[in-house]
Amino acid sequence: MAGSPAEVTLTQRLLKGGHSGYAPWLDRRPSRDVIERIGLPALRSEEWRHTNVRRWYEAVLANGSSRAEEAAAIAAPAAIEVVDFASPRAAELAAAGPASVIDLASQPLAAVNALLLRAGAVVRAPSGIRSTEPVRIGALNGAFQHVLVHVEAGASLTLIEEPSAFTHRVIEATVAEAGHFCHWRRQARSAERECSLVAVRLQAGANYALAQTSRGADLRRNDIRITLAGSGAEATVVGAWRLHGHDHLDNQVAISHAEAGGFSRQTYRGIAADSARAVLYGRIHIAAGANQTDAALSTKNLLASDAAQVFAKPELEIHASDVQCRHGATVGTLDDAAMHYMRSRGIGEEAARELLLAGFLREAIADAEGAELVGLGA
Amino acid sequence: MAESAEINALVEREYAAGFVTDIAAETLPPGLDEGVVRAISAKKGEPEWMTEWRLDAYRRWRKMRPPRWAHVRFPDIDYQAISYYSAPTGDKPKSLDEVDPELLRTYEKLGIPLHERAKLAGVEGADESAPVAVDAVFDSVSIATTFKEELRDAGVVFCSIAEAIREHPELVRRYLGSVVPKPDNFYAALNSAVFSDGSFVYIPKHTRCPMELSTYFRINAANTGQFERTLIIADAGSYVSYLEGCTAPMRDDNQLHAAVVELVALEDAQIKYSTVQNWYPGDEQGRGGIYNFVTKRGACLGARSKISWTQVETGSAITWKYPSVVLRGDESVGEFHSVALTRNRQQADTGTKMIHIGRGTKSTIVSKGISAGRSQNSYRGLVRMNHGAAGARNHTQCDSLLIGDHCGAHTFPYIESKLPSATIEHEATTSKVSDEQLFLCQQRGIDAEKAVAMIVNGFCKDVFRTLPMEFAVEAAQLLEVSLEGAVG
Amino acid sequence: MSNALLEVDSLHVEVDDKPILKGLGIAVQAGEVHAVMGPNGAGKSTLANVLAGRPGYAVTSGAMIFDGVDLADRLPEERALLGLFLAFQYPVEIPGLSNMEFLKAAIDARAKHAGLDEPSAADFIKRAREAAGRVGLSADFLRRGVNEGFSGGEKKRNEILQMLLLQPRLAVLDETDSGLDIDALQVVAAGINAFRSANNAVLLVTHYQRLLNYVVPDRVHVLADGRIVRSGDHTLAEQLEQKGYGWLAS
Repeated sequence: MAGSPAEVTLTQRLLKGGHSGYAPWLDRRPSRDVIERIGLPALRSEEWRHTNVRRWYEAVLANGSSRAEEAAAIAAPAAIEVVDFASPRAAELAAAGPASVIDLASQPLAAVNALLLRAGAVVRAPSGIRSTEPVRIGALNGAFQHVLVHVEAGASLTLIEEPSAFTHRVIEATVAEAGHFCHWRRQARSAERECSLVAVRLQAGANYALAQTSRGADLRRNDIRITLAGSGAEATVVGAWRLHGHDHLDNQVAISHAEAGGFSRQTYRGIAADSARAVLYGRIHIAAGANQTDAALSTKNLLASDAAQVFAKPELEIHASDVQCRHGATVGTLDDAAMHYMRSRGIGEEAARELLLAGFLREAIADAEGAELVGLGA
Repeated sequence: MAESAEINALVEREYAAGFVTDIAAETLPPGLDEGVVRAISAKKGEPEWMTEWRLDAYRRWRKMRPPRWAHVRFPDIDYQAISYYSAPTGDKPKSLDEVDPELLRTYEKLGIPLHERAKLAGVEGADESAPVAVDAVFDSVSIATTFKEELRDAGVVFCSIAEAIREHPELVRRYLGSVVPKPDNFYAALNSAVFSDGSFVYIPKHTRCPMELSTYFRINAANTGQFERTLIIADAGSYVSYLEGCTAPMRDDNQLHAAVVELVALEDAQIKYSTVQNWYPGDEQGRGGIYNFVTKRGACLGARSKISWTQVETGSAITWKYPSVVLRGDESVGEFHSVALTRNRQQADTGTKMIHIGRGTKSTIVSKGISAGRSQNSYRGLVRMNHGAAGARNHTQCDSLLIGDHCGAHTFPYIESKLPSATIEHEATTSKVSDEQLFLCQQRGIDAEKAVAMIVNGFCKDVFRTLPMEFAVEAAQLLEVSLEGAVG
Repeated sequence: MSNALLEVDSLHVEVDDKPILKGLGIAVQAGEVHAVMGPNGAGKSTLANVLAGRPGYAVTSGAMIFDGVDLADRLPEERALLGLFLAFQYPVEIPGLSNMEFLKAAIDARAKHAGLDEPSAADFIKRAREAAGRVGLSADFLRRGVNEGFSGGEKKRNEILQMLLLQPRLAVLDETDSGLDIDALQVVAAGINAFRSANNAVLLVTHYQRLLNYVVPDRVHVLADGRIVRSGDHTLAEQLEQKGYGWLAS
């Protein structure tokens, strides 16, 4: 297969190389299969139109062997079981839990992750356990990371991803009947090239809430795939970003309603300054038969300079008739009238702008505690 | 609920324009090579530069692949199995009296007036309506253009493109391919190589075209592609309203229609382009029907120029169509108003592109998609604010209405901005004809079929409002007919 | 009794397989106003909807005879054309379809049914404007979509307007008084009183007595658990106002 030198070298290495011996129970064949059959995403494919995936391959080649050992940092309350992939218990949990929710064919980067994996953990919220104390994920030791989350029936789990570096990170979660999974995600400004995948499957009556704030990176791509596989499941995604310099952020979110009575909300607020580039693809898919679905997406974007760019593609794909579905997208700049109003009250231009921008981002995350948690506090 | 079942039973009705005209025709054998391109050019009596232009397009087309990104499914087309030229035999008639009566009857049956006293049929109060000049294109040739005298007096040129190549080569050479370049896409390249006929319009400076201009396209011959080419040039300060209609017989094979339409609006000029597209959509099982793969684009070249597209799409097995506007002139305006109704197994992937280049440019998009039966209906649109489009604005409203549980309604908007002073607003909603709406109408004594038609009409109102009166009535009727039998 | 305008006999109705009306009987003569009152969940709205033939309301036994015609298996529009009108509790919005077109279609359907010519557009507009004035809706309402963006009060006024225009034999008003301020309540009441005549009848379905201060009913029925448990003259409504429904329940 043709491709850039980085791509070709990477493909060859992935197909030839054995794994490091880390977590030998992991079945890596499907990943190798996908790389062999489908290959790596090519430049100019629709999904990668706005992110130069070659530059990420370069990062993989640079970081793929290993990085300096760091202390694995997962802090968890006693009721929640956290096990490193290296332990035999992880194999047990993975085997006992639901099947993988990752569609490797559409997520080849996750296949790269699996073949180069050095850091992984299973997080299990046992049936009926309602934990209020969060699990915190800090820096993990390895450029390729996989956190497997099982929220069992009626359990509730809060997970906080602290800002930390990686080349590729997978958060894979299943939420069983009536389970709750609350996911906070903070992405700090970074000079690295980072991609991640969040893949979540919700059973009947389960609930997932993701709040994500992102500063830019040299290259940052977040793929988020949520499937409402049981009736009456709910998913809420809020995202806020503020980009400067040459920051690049590409968020690709898809929410798929497979069963009736589902509810989903997506709210995004983003600011791009200097020559930053922000991308949001937000997709709502409603399968045949998923009636009484209520799904909505709102994205608002501010451009703060002549060189900044924003690309938005909110999509609806609907195969059921009895649904309520809508999306809205805006791109513009700060409201002159609001600026003028504040200045007429004696607030300086810079301060006024800062207040308005911060307020704009906070529209995404309404509750103050949450805003504080993801770094949007007033 | 009971009524949902009734609505589901919706939508089957004979296609009224599905008859075949039995007329002697000269048809090129199927297949495409340089010889065929030269033969078409020769039949049209074209000058050398035109032949070369076509050959260049053909050579580019051979290196291209059909687009695959649209939300439509169909087997690969064998481009060597299509005939690229079919024309009724005999010389082109000098006047209406010389037109084959069989052809005149065809247009009469379709309600298209080729007599200069007549008006578009199916119009309430037709006696009071303004005259409409018609160019009638039958398979590969224009058979008649009406009101030529009156238009000539106003300085307006309205003729077939073949005639324009002979009579107005300077305008054709300057503008043909200037808005849709030959290699723009696979189908546009194919059209550039083999286009047979179509309409040409030139409105001189500061002239308001004295009547609506209209082209009526009819595919009759079997196994033949139709590749018309339309070019409309509105010179500075002029205005024209142009209408386009189309039908085809019912046949079990799919037929290809790959048209290219180019609009050019100079300073302060306005072009209003309205389409009522009713190509044969295929039967209930999805057999037959037209593949409507069309490239339509307008260029607002001059400052304060304006181009409006209005389309009512009810026909075709597959529609692939994105009437677009390139807003180059400062403060120029682009509009796209669309109603797309799909039923049975029709597939439509349609929308628009608004490319903002000039300062203070404005665009408005209103799209209403109605899906019924087992059809798939997608809106696909691009709004791009380029560097330099300071103060530009776009507003997009995209609504889908679903009738029944086996159809799909999809929305794929691409929003791209590269400057802070531009504003883009996009909104999309999805709804269905609700049991409550239907019951309210019924409770007031309106039967279910009429109620569905009224509700769908209400849903489309924002678009119908932008059509010329004659077409608005026709469009509403067409919609009603398409929905007839909707409620069992 | 056989010449009653509406006669409902031992009516059993199920919604989603759940019995709601359990042997309800009521008879309304031309020229009368009846009020059906009762606690929430008693089946009041079910009665209104089943009369109008709303899908989802299954008659399992019993009969509804309207002006000598058995309503069973009649389509909603057939019942409407017979002269049965329902003022909805929650009137639905139909975006884009103007009140003008909607009302004209309803009136034309009625004219056609009666074998009359459709009224001219000018005549229709005149009548519609006049009716709008009587319920306090401004004339521009005719151009707006059916109930589109209407307040709760405007929707109810629109229902009364339609009743006045369509002149049914029997008007069933489903909680038309709920959620109205005092001004709107008086407008609605005045509309009903203007409508009353010796040839037609009104069935008021309501939870509260307050509308009955303005529209005095000939008969008041208490509906509880799917049956009429008590009937009387208008003083029964006053008793209910004072004592609530509890004393009737057992």
